[in-house]
Amino acid sequence: MSREKTEFAEFFQASWEPCLRAVVASTGSVQLAEDQVAEAFARAWLSWRKVRRHPAPRAWVVRTALNVGASWWRRRIRELPLAGHDAEVHRDQALNAEDGGLDAALLTALRHLPGRQREVIALRVFLDLDIDTISAQLGIAPGTVRAHLSRGVMALRHELSLTQAMEADR
Amino acid sequence: MNDNDELNDGAVLSAVRDSISGLPMPMAPGLEAIKARGRARRHRRVAGLSVAAAGACAALVVGVTGGAPAARPAQQAGPAPAHHAAAVHLVAFTVAAGPDGTTTLTLYPGQVANPDAVRQALAEHGIPALVTAGEFCRTAVQPAPGVGDVVTLTGAKQIQIPANGQPTARPGPIVINGSNIPNGVELSIGYRQDSQQNEISFTLIVTGAPTTCTSIPDNGPHTGD
Repeated sequence: MSREKTEFAEFFQASWEPCLRAVVASTGSVQLAEDQVAEAFARAWLSWRKVRRHPAPRAWVVRTALNVGASWWRRRIRELPLAGHDAEVHRDQALNAEDGGLDAALLTALRHLPGRQREVIALRVFLDLDIDTISAQLGIAPGTVRAHLSRGVMALRHELSLTQAMEADR
Repeated sequence: MNDNDELNDGAVLSAVRDSISGLPMPMAPGLEAIKARGRARRHRRVAGLSVAAAGACAALVVGVTGGAPAARPAQQAGPAPAHHAAAVHLVAFTVAAGPDGTTTLTLYPGQVANPDAVRQALAEHGIPALVTAGEFCRTAVQPAPGVGDVVTLTGAKQIQIPANGQPTARPGPIVINGSNIPNGVELSIGYRQDSQQNEISFTLIVTGAPTTCTSIPDNGPHTGD
């Protein structure tokens, strides 16, 4: 049991950041992702005997975090800004394109991809998962994973090209 | 020249990796915090199973006795609408008195709260409200004070702006300060619950004035409209 605890502690320390970055890439919000990933690790801890035998434990965490996000309630306070309560809103600056530049443009483009394409790219880029593992994680056919990856990359490539061209013209 | 030709898939994915890697990420919480969260989840699940088991027993009693209603809990709680006569009715919402004269409304995901029951429960706590499911209603004039003086989503971190640019929050009790609602003003609450997502919106409206109701989430009032 003690060995399992140590294993989980090591897994948590080593996996927090890559899992968080993968979920940020998929959700577009650092704050949201932070909560979702923390919840996913809590569930991983509860089910560690099962998760430790999973072929890709980090992918399990990311997938769980994304599922957590899908099930959470979305709530809107309408007209708060009109009522002068802007200060209550903690803006999630991370993926804003206000600063301009290549990174911001690329992140904005990523944010605008369909959710499944973002998930596939996140798992590919941040967890280094191959097509078959992504397929197993998302429960979709490998060909579908390839299609999502291809379309997502195509859209990002277009944005990247435009941004590079604009920067070259400056 | 076509830049696309020069950007292979690997280069694009590397650029994505670099972009995200350049963002400052929050430090990992302490391991004990994660474990505590897990323990809390386990307690909630155990408690939920107990409630479900009690509900199943209550439903069985109803069936045997010919439909006598089960006693409601002390806290005002609303069942989800009945879809089948023999269904177990889980609590879809609760309304409870909070500190400092506030009222706490909690809507539970996965169940559709009956808007009339929510309205009635809030009215019993002195909160005049227009409660709608699947749509969101407002009057032409948004009366003072701001809805932010009346409704608070608990937890500072719970108000966020995700990809769609709207402030959102994860589940938590909704604290309503009914004493801040002036005479002639009501709180409009609209919520939508489906398999994809759940959403709730608030605004203040003029009592008795014509309302415009629009579907959630696309056509509700936004900043500056």
